[in-house]
Amino acid sequence: MIRRNYILLTLFLLVAGLCIFQYSRRTCEYRSDQFLMDTLVSIKAYGTNAGTVKNAVDAAYVEMHRIAELADGFPKPGTAAWNSSDVCRINEQAGIKPVTVHKDVIAMVTLARKYFELSNGAFDVTIDPVMDQWGFGGENPHIPPPGALGTALALVDSRNLLIDEQARTVFLRTKGMKLDLGAVAKGYATEKAAEVLTRHGITKALIDAGGNIRVLGRNVRDTPWKIGIKDPRKSEAIIAVVSMENAAAVTSGDYYRHFESGGKRYHHILDPRTGYPANQNMSATVVTRDAGLADVLSTVFFVLSPEKALEMAGRIPGVELFLVTADGQIRHSPALNSRLEIKEGSAYHYDPSR
Amino acid sequence: MTRADKILLAGLLLVSLLSVAAAGSRFFLLSGKSEPLQAVIMSQGKQVRRINLSAGGRSSFAVQGRSGYSTVEIEGGRIRMLNAPCSGQICVKQGWIEHSGQTIVCIPEEMLIRIEGAAPVDAVTR
Repeated sequence: MIRRNYILLTLFLLVAGLCIFQYSRRTCEYRSDQFLMDTLVSIKAYGTNAGTVKNAVDAAYVEMHRIAELADGFPKPGTAAWNSSDVCRINEQAGIKPVTVHKDVIAMVTLARKYFELSNGAFDVTIDPVMDQWGFGGENPHIPPPGALGTALALVDSRNLLIDEQARTVFLRTKGMKLDLGAVAKGYATEKAAEVLTRHGITKALIDAGGNIRVLGRNVRDTPWKIGIKDPRKSEAIIAVVSMENAAAVTSGDYYRHFESGGKRYHHILDPRTGYPANQNMSATVVTRDAGLADVLSTVFFVLSPEKALEMAGRIPGVELFLVTADGQIRHSPALNSRLEIKEGSAYHYDPSR
Repeated sequence: MTRADKILLAGLLLVSLLSVAAAGSRFFLLSGKSEPLQAVIMSQGKQVRRINLSAGGRSSFAVQGRSGYSTVEIEGGRIRMLNAPCSGQICVKQGWIEHSGQTIVCIPEEMLIRIEGAAPVDAVTR
């Protein structure tokens, strides 16, 4: 009788131990939102230890703040923000001398310069003088007078953006040139944040930096993350859903910071070759592993013609493109086929055989 | 084994099964099949309100942002920014939101309204 009780007691302890083990292994979610880089950044991460997950997310934000400060192009001279911005110092020394910068700035500028060359000038981070003419950074954007636009456009040329990786310097060769890392920094910072999460042992997370998405692993249901692509004309609607793991999705569209004049729509993504808003696409979404690359390429493909964009996307391994063209057609890389779901009843033309 | 032992054994098995199910239910909760829709309102990094949208009804209230007070309105399961002291008024122009995963963001005021609950997608690239 006593012996039988021992067996039962052992059994009971075994079950209790199993319960505690299961309890300790339960997934917990930590979610945080912060305003930075002129947008809202939300990070959602999962793990078995709440403290570890929170520490990882906090560290990821610290990293994003650091990149944001380096790349901030708008603080007032003399302020602390101005002093910590490499971009401000590069612009101040344009036409004067090369500026020693942080290696992250070298990385961002090098990435930008590479796709300036590969796109034959359809992407240019020295577009800022033209942006200023349009006033997209301020309250009242407007069509600039052609003379002023021409003068500003003459300054835009990344061939005069000189990078010395050894000396870690960046130099704008002509006075009046201005660097704007707006199309690079958010994606780059997002990727660095993903690296920080990974270094802290996080294997499941979603970073949403104002619509720039980067996911780690799979979602909490252990299926691929489902990322909606915004309908470029209907606010709050989704045009398609793409399933992804360990990847980034970034979209460039004509629906942000736009104004209308004479029945025409003018938005802030300018074609550096003309100085006018790019008009071949409504939106371009890039899915690839690296959020920094996705950010740059979404702008490149948005500016290029649909044919050129799809052709260029096809030549870069691991890069997938989803386009809504100016005439309302949905086009995408063949590789997206198996992971893409086009929403029923969308107002766009889609020919899956193309 | 006596009859009492068998009952005890069955009881233990039941407890262990329940505990495994309980651990698993956390996943069901997160997948949010039967979660009611809730609106979360954040201002300057802090959650200021959490409201059950599924309950229906109509209400409005003021929320302090970076430069002043904004008014948030709720009506029939929808929520919107009725007015805000920001210059762009993007948040006000956006109008009503009612589905899980939708957000209204006011960057100048550092305010965020987000609807939580069963979402069709995990995030939206825009």
